[in-house]
Amino acid sequence: MTVITAATPAPPRARKVASRQQWIGLLYVAPAVALVVVFFLIPLGMTAWMSLHNWPLMGEHSYIGLGNYVAILRDTRFWNALRFTAYYTVIVTIAIFVVAFPLALFVERPRPLTNLYRTMFFMPAVVGFASASLLWSWLLNVDSGLFSPAAYDLGLIDRKFNLLATFQPAFWSIIAMVVWKVAGFTMIILMAGLQSIPQDLQEAAVIDGAGPFARFRAITLPLMRRTLALALILSVAGSILAFDQFYIILRGGPRNQTLTAVYWIFNQSFVSFKLGYGAALSMVLLVVLVALSLVQLWLLRKPEGLD
Amino acid sequence: MRNLIAELALAAAVLGGGLGTAAAETANIWVRADGSNFMPRIVDAYNKAHTNQVKLDIIPNAEIIPKYGAAAAGGTAPDALSLDLIYTPSFAAAGQLEDITDWAKSLPYFASLSPAHVKTGTYKDHIYGLPFSADASVLIWNKKLFKQAGLDPEKGPANWAEIAADAEKVNALGGNIKGFYFSGNCGGCNIFTFTPLIWASGGDILSEDGSKATLDSPQLRGAIDLYRSMVKKDLVPAGAQTDTGANFFAAFAAGNIGISPSGAFAIGALNTQYPDIDYGVTFLPGKDSGWSSFAGGDNFVVTKGTTKLPVVKEFLDFAYSLEGQTILAKYGSLPVRGDIAKEALKDLDPRYQVAAEAMAKGKTPYSVVFNDLINSANGPWTQMINEVFFGDDVDGAIANAQETMQSIIDQAPQK
Repeated sequence: MTVITAATPAPPRARKVASRQQWIGLLYVAPAVALVVVFFLIPLGMTAWMSLHNWPLMGEHSYIGLGNYVAILRDTRFWNALRFTAYYTVIVTIAIFVVAFPLALFVERPRPLTNLYRTMFFMPAVVGFASASLLWSWLLNVDSGLFSPAAYDLGLIDRKFNLLATFQPAFWSIIAMVVWKVAGFTMIILMAGLQSIPQDLQEAAVIDGAGPFARFRAITLPLMRRTLALALILSVAGSILAFDQFYIILRGGPRNQTLTAVYWIFNQSFVSFKLGYGAALSMVLLVVLVALSLVQLWLLRKPEGLD
Repeated sequence: MRNLIAELALAAAVLGGGLGTAAAETANIWVRADGSNFMPRIVDAYNKAHTNQVKLDIIPNAEIIPKYGAAAAGGTAPDALSLDLIYTPSFAAAGQLEDITDWAKSLPYFASLSPAHVKTGTYKDHIYGLPFSADASVLIWNKKLFKQAGLDPEKGPANWAEIAADAEKVNALGGNIKGFYFSGNCGGCNIFTFTPLIWASGGDILSEDGSKATLDSPQLRGAIDLYRSMVKKDLVPAGAQTDTGANFFAAFAAGNIGISPSGAFAIGALNTQYPDIDYGVTFLPGKDSGWSSFAGGDNFVVTKGTTKLPVVKEFLDFAYSLEGQTILAKYGSLPVRGDIAKEALKDLDPRYQVAAEAMAKGKTPYSVVFNDLINSANGPWTQMINEVFFGDDVDGAIANAQETMQSIIDQAPQK
């Protein structure tokens, strides 16, 4: 985007160079632009177009204007799913940061075996969500899994406890699984932020007599504002789009209490075959997501006068 | 297994080509996982005996409908599909299927094909689906465990009280052994095996034409009480509560379950994969007497516009032959041709006769929104059965399901 700001009034010769540079710049970004157009803008446009139709999975589709959007207003199960998604997002984001921040502080400074710890903590992040869900789905199985049978065999419980049968244990099992999977990734982002804080600032503060807590509050946190914003937006956006773990491990259960917004879109599109309605729901979710991201960016914006 | 089939297919193709016959064509066919026992066998037999070949894909039960819909929309649908018969009308209505009326009626044995299948395969007087596999729900019990528990191993339960009493006795053997098993979070499993208990007692969950949900009946409540009492007495493994169908068959096959409602498919699957299990087959009984069954299975449907129609027809014709029907029966499907059913079953396990009788008198519910109502993992039926079997609020769960089901029926497009 710097190519645009470069186009300020200039002598004819300079302008010619600038305009050539503009074209070269455009050429450089062309592959990225092409990718965005083909894989984002066009599908987005198609989704918007489909959302204005009654579009079954099989058979003919017909234009119905804003009919789908009017139906969404009355779709209490979608709003319930959205409410659950919000609840999940808040809980899981807090849980991820509570685990990832201490980990980042722990692995930030060089010390014996640091690389081993970093690798260990990061490892689950490279597993896909679907594979991780399948793994945990087995771990959590009451008859042939790990947790419940192990606790039973060790004599910790009298009878096997089905972790997935009621809401609270099922929900917290998912939170545990997601934290296990994602915290390592957030840790790396936060660690990079920590390492970018100039060492001399910390040293100066030490000389001024600041304690560890004061340094964390007055130096580390403010200087990590942008890193935190990045980690937060990634975590929130990822959580709002949660689907795999609830589909694979819980099937939206127990008793449909863990249906997320994306799960509901999937159900409408591929169980009830209402692709148009699913597209309209997706557009609503997109608006929610963009709005939330803007709010976060605004909250974590750079304070005036701070470079 | 799949590699073996592929190799055999290749070998047969090479052999066929070597004989200088017409160029072999390969048709792609899908089947749901329920057919994973008999389907590879019959495809195998067909491929060995024919120049044309069939390539089979087995799709998980819950995925086959959305996967096919998506493939059809994207133009990559298989040439034909063994489709759960209850979906045939909605697929035909969507204009997705090839009209095979003329070919079907030209079959000399058309009149003796399973009427339940042909009825669901017919849409607006045109035939879009023909019977392929048949399955009726039955009750199976483990004879070895019955004997150990001091019960008559040759006598299965004939009413609800006997189910509960026998399950309790078997359960008393202790250890890993449990009295009863059902998939408590699987709508499809329970429409197949739980509703016959209601039907046999004179109740129903949908009106005849599928336009009214009729859940709140004394028969449904009675059947719920039966299951609840067994769950309460700890006769059912803890995993049943969250089983979405994965253990529907596997739990009994492991050999430590006394009684389980199941289907005719279990006979073939047990005989071939678990020959050590000694089991009996009986009807799903009513509260005091009588019995009922869900007449299910698959219709064979052809994707509209496929170029492999001759291969598909040849394959189906082979499946209808005595050889094909015998293979199907041997590996878990009931015969779908009435005129040769006896012959196809003649050398087989006599327990098939119970299932064949259940099939002949079984019921098939009809609804254009069957998936939304019953089979969907998040639909009202699935939610209700889980709540009423394991939850605290039976009345609330029934009322909620009744209301949701009726509203889904009312909002369905009128076709």
